[in-house]
Amino acid sequence: MTVVDGLKAAALLFVAAILQVSIFTQARVLHGEPDVLLVTLVSVALLRGSVFGAAGGFFAGLLVDTATLAKLGLTSLVLTIAGYWIGRYGETTGRDRGHAPFLSVAVITVLYAFGLMIVHFVLGEPTAAGSVLKGLVPSIVLNLILVAPVYALVRRLLRPLDRGDYATEVHLLG
Amino acid sequence: MLGTSVQRSRNERRPPRGRNTQLRRLLLVVLVLAALVLLTVSFRSPTSGALHDVQGYGASALRPFEVAAERVARPFRDAYDYVSGLTGAKSENKKLRSEVRTWRAQAMASASASHQLAELKALMHFEELNSFPKDYTPVNTSVISFPGTTTQTITIAAGTGSGIRENTPVVTADGLIGHVTNAGPNTAQVTLLTDPDSAVPAVDVTHGVTGLIRRGPRGTFILDRVPKEAVVEKGDRIVTRGTVDRRYPDYYPYGIPIGTVLSASPSDIATFLTVQVTPFANFDSLDAVAALVSKKR
Repeated sequence: MTVVDGLKAAALLFVAAILQVSIFTQARVLHGEPDVLLVTLVSVALLRGSVFGAAGGFFAGLLVDTATLAKLGLTSLVLTIAGYWIGRYGETTGRDRGHAPFLSVAVITVLYAFGLMIVHFVLGEPTAAGSVLKGLVPSIVLNLILVAPVYALVRRLLRPLDRGDYATEVHLLG
Repeated sequence: MLGTSVQRSRNERRPPRGRNTQLRRLLLVVLVLAALVLLTVSFRSPTSGALHDVQGYGASALRPFEVAAERVARPFRDAYDYVSGLTGAKSENKKLRSEVRTWRAQAMASASASHQLAELKALMHFEELNSFPKDYTPVNTSVISFPGTTTQTITIAAGTGSGIRENTPVVTADGLIGHVTNAGPNTAQVTLLTDPDSAVPAVDVTHGVTGLIRRGPRGTFILDRVPKEAVVEKGDRIVTRGTVDRRYPDYYPYGIPIGTVLSASPSDIATFLTVQVTPFANFDSLDAVAALVSKKR
């Protein structure tokens, strides 16, 4: 993992954040919307681990909150935890598995939606839980459609690491 | 190896936590704490302070990228709107022709009434607060970020540099959509009427019935707090009520169109009349909007 990797990941997340706030939030299908930023973050975290996942999530969240003049730190908080968690999955059980990006995106889409709702709820801000729940399944489907092209692009820019480069605590037997 | 009973040593069972692990966890804690600190500061002073200023400059720096992305996407969006518009064009054309006849008759009646009203106001030396649209300058701008599933806010490509302030009303060519809740130098956040917390004092111009416009089911609004004995009919036009008492000025001046009454029905268990309103503005396709900046500062 090098500085160049960090710059590439930052550039990817920057573009994804801009596309998300400007274009993808409008592409609503059956109350659901695709989240290219989340899919990009999951791809980066799976390929580069928890440190990149957490830092990338924080940076991407900050960009989204700044661009939309929303409360700073709100999206960062949820994306930092999401990036770290998926990074850990990539470093341990999820490595080398073909289904890992799809599974990660499906799970994180649900957790991210609930995470944002919980933060809004804790802050005492209104949030339309009904429309979030109604759009959850379409959002998962739309994000799963994005996984293959986005993961392929991120994988092309951030080549998978050797096993020894991952920061892992799990010792494989044999 | 899997399937064999390998006896692990005490050290192997609990792998030693290396420096990398500690650093990784430390980073997570630091980032989460930083996010919480930012959130706390931002929550305590959402529209002022140093952090708000920094955010405003950050939003200005990101604005060109958002505008560029929006411009790239616009032809595709226009093509989609064009194709989807064609499917209902014939029936819509028939409906619009019928509406034009109705509005033409009403416009003639309104012109006559308006002339009389101006004369009567002059006779009575009637003083009034800001009136729409003559006391407002529209700042026409584009939408650069759109509402998500959890928030009903948009970002527009104009801010304090164009005279936009907090609580500035924002409209489309069709009607009211919301008001500014956070303004940076070159961008502003607009909270839409579809926000669950939004409540706009409104009046039925046909019958003079007042109430509060709130978010309703399936993309409609509810005209809330209308007494059961009030008369409201399908097709009545709803506009903003404006300031009633100078001590408590409203964000919105009188007369900004909001929508038409879809249905009005009393309920045995509800205290008020249930009035459903179809908004004039299309909240699913917000493209170009106008912020109404008051001429009177």
